[in-house]
Amino acid sequence: MQCPFPSARSESVNLTKKMRNNLIAYLLLTPWLAGFVIMYLIPMGISIYYSCTDFNLLNVPQFIGLSNYNRIFLQDDTFYQALKVTFTYVLILVPFRLAFALGVAMLLNKKYRGIGIYRTCYYIPSIIGGSIAVSVVWKQIFGNQGVIMSILSAMGIEQKTSLLGNPNTALLVIILMGIWQFGSSMLIFLSALKQIPLSLYESADVDGARSVIKFLKITIPMLTPTIFFNLILQIINGFRVFTESYVITNGGPLDSTLSYVLYLYRRAFTYFDMGYSCALAWVLVAIIAMFTIVLFKTQKNWVFYESEEES
Amino acid sequence: MNLKKVTALFMASLMSFSLAGCGGSKEALSEDDQKTQTNEATVQEAETENTNTSTAEGEPVTIKITWWGGQSRHDYTQKLLNKYTELNPNVTFEALPSGWDGYFDKLSTQAASGAMPDIVQMDYLYISTFAKNNSIADMQEFVDNGTIDLANVDSNLADSGKIDGKLAGLVLSSSLLTVGINNSVFAEAGIDKPTSDWTWSDFLKICKEINNKTGKYGFSAIMADDTNNFNYYVRQHGQTLFSEDNKSLGYFDDAIYVDFVNMIKELIDAKATPNPDEYDAIKALGYEAMPVATGDGAMVTDWSNYACRLEEVNKNISLVTPPKGESEAANGLWLKPGMFFSVSETSKVKEEAAKFINWFINSEEANEIILAERGTPVSSEIRDYLTNSGKLSDKQKEMFEYVNNAGALCGEAPAPDPVGISEINESFNKTVYSVLYGQATVEDAAKTFRESANEILARNN
Repeated sequence: MQCPFPSARSESVNLTKKMRNNLIAYLLLTPWLAGFVIMYLIPMGISIYYSCTDFNLLNVPQFIGLSNYNRIFLQDDTFYQALKVTFTYVLILVPFRLAFALGVAMLLNKKYRGIGIYRTCYYIPSIIGGSIAVSVVWKQIFGNQGVIMSILSAMGIEQKTSLLGNPNTALLVIILMGIWQFGSSMLIFLSALKQIPLSLYESADVDGARSVIKFLKITIPMLTPTIFFNLILQIINGFRVFTESYVITNGGPLDSTLSYVLYLYRRAFTYFDMGYSCALAWVLVAIIAMFTIVLFKTQKNWVFYESEEES
Repeated sequence: MNLKKVTALFMASLMSFSLAGCGGSKEALSEDDQKTQTNEATVQEAETENTNTSTAEGEPVTIKITWWGGQSRHDYTQKLLNKYTELNPNVTFEALPSGWDGYFDKLSTQAASGAMPDIVQMDYLYISTFAKNNSIADMQEFVDNGTIDLANVDSNLADSGKIDGKLAGLVLSSSLLTVGINNSVFAEAGIDKPTSDWTWSDFLKICKEINNKTGKYGFSAIMADDTNNFNYYVRQHGQTLFSEDNKSLGYFDDAIYVDFVNMIKELIDAKATPNPDEYDAIKALGYEAMPVATGDGAMVTDWSNYACRLEEVNKNISLVTPPKGESEAANGLWLKPGMFFSVSETSKVKEEAAKFINWFINSEEANEIILAERGTPVSSEIRDYLTNSGKLSDKQKEMFEYVNNAGALCGEAPAPDPVGISEINESFNKTVYSVLYGQATVEDAAKTFRESANEILARNN
């Protein structure tokens, strides 16, 4: 009552308080923001520029407009081969990896003695899977004179070439290695499984539902946000496959395992074709963005959010 | 939008950002290079001054040096570096040895980020690419001011390191294409070793015979890792692999390609040569464990230092010149600069590096350690010294002799390989393999190779 404009005054206090809050937030974000701008945003901007030049790592780049992109789409057969390999890789890998991850997560979502040890064991391939050493081991297993070939020939099945030496099967070995690294998706599934309210299962039990029904009607719908999240994450990761095809087969035989990023790397650092390589990178960004947008568009049809239901 | 949706969207966009950023961050580094390059002149001046003063005071200098090779080369090179440090206590080395596989991938990455080692062992295959990219320094000034003495080096050979008028590499050795022979495999098969007048048809016959009698590989490589063997074959037909202006292939007759690949295929079909799959496994074994070295193969093409390189694992290796053409139009062989030392443009210790290279080329004590493992030394005085010193083993004497004898069979040396050679090698390898895997006819492969090589050459030169 003493203040003539109580509402106005409290508003201005609120405003400054809000501003101060924002300031603190930005301040706390600075380390990340600085890193993001310096390490990602600026290099990305530069790489857009380079993608329109004939930059070969050490010359002075000459601006050549969109002719790199022109060359990619109209003249470069290897680009289409790399694209084909990468699409095949992603389309086979992602469903299998997610299914596998979910299956193992369900197995590990039980109360056994020493369950923590099992969880750790199943996560290990994801930690070490991307490493050079494991790739070398896979090469030894599936390559010429490797374990698989020795077993096959001991069983009397003479193979002309090893799985990795055959252009038709080499990619499958690489995919298999990818599926084996299901740990990070499994971990996300595991934590999501733990958040499904037990009361849902209990009432289903009361109604006498079998476990298949429980899985299809409770577990899967409740998991859709997690499945959606994992799907996007794994698709993006899948498009970025490099180490396996670089170390195990180096793209061979006959480019049958030439992943997109390996081709991009070769263009940049083996053929000194950095401008072109930047253009390739941006084409890949566009492809991944497209996949992500389409998936986001479809999510209202199949992804179930608890909060929506309530509102 | 609820929180979960927002988080998912955010995470997804973050992931795709990190993808583009991954490609981008490399460029950021190279942009720094760009700046270095534009300021090149001033920086270089400053650097020369720096090194001048630092050497005068004998200030400690560290030289980073990298090379490719097998274990024995790594061992004695380390010994060599220690020796140099002993003689010049202010100089220490940071050695970065590597195998051939991946050596140039790594080097180009380092060049792009401005972190190329000071002294770099360089191959004829890549020297023009690196020189034209301005990542290696012009060493002419150090020759002119006497830091590096090339008086005893054949001038044609010394000039092979000159690219576009600048001395991009100091040649360390000369070598020749060679067929390395495992004597014991020949003895086991009861076949006489070939002599330098053998032809390609003798070669095929011997390969198959060895496989029939011993079950081992007659010839243990697929001659499509690079274009060196093919280059030799083309030259025998009186043509050149690349045109004079390096803008297209130099040979006009695709039958040359067809015959060459058919020969490879014939050997593989006869199991006298490993198939691509087996060959892949062989290549991963490392130099000292390949079939000819271990006695699982009779012959392989390599360079004239082959027997010396393998001396520690197998003393029973001898050399013969590669097969002649049936109706040889020209000498296919040429004296190839074996390898070079180049100094990186970004190096801050160019003068110290030059001093070391001079020591490497001209000093007797260095060459007593090297013992021609990197190929026949370029300095005629060192060659005489080594021959008379009695320190050479039989293998090394044999190599000196081989180079002397084969000299008579040499034609004019071709120009350094054009820019884009690694892409051309890749394309050659791919087209040959497409035939070996039965996915293309040899005639189609010849056409594909011509088209893609011409496109690559036109784009790069």
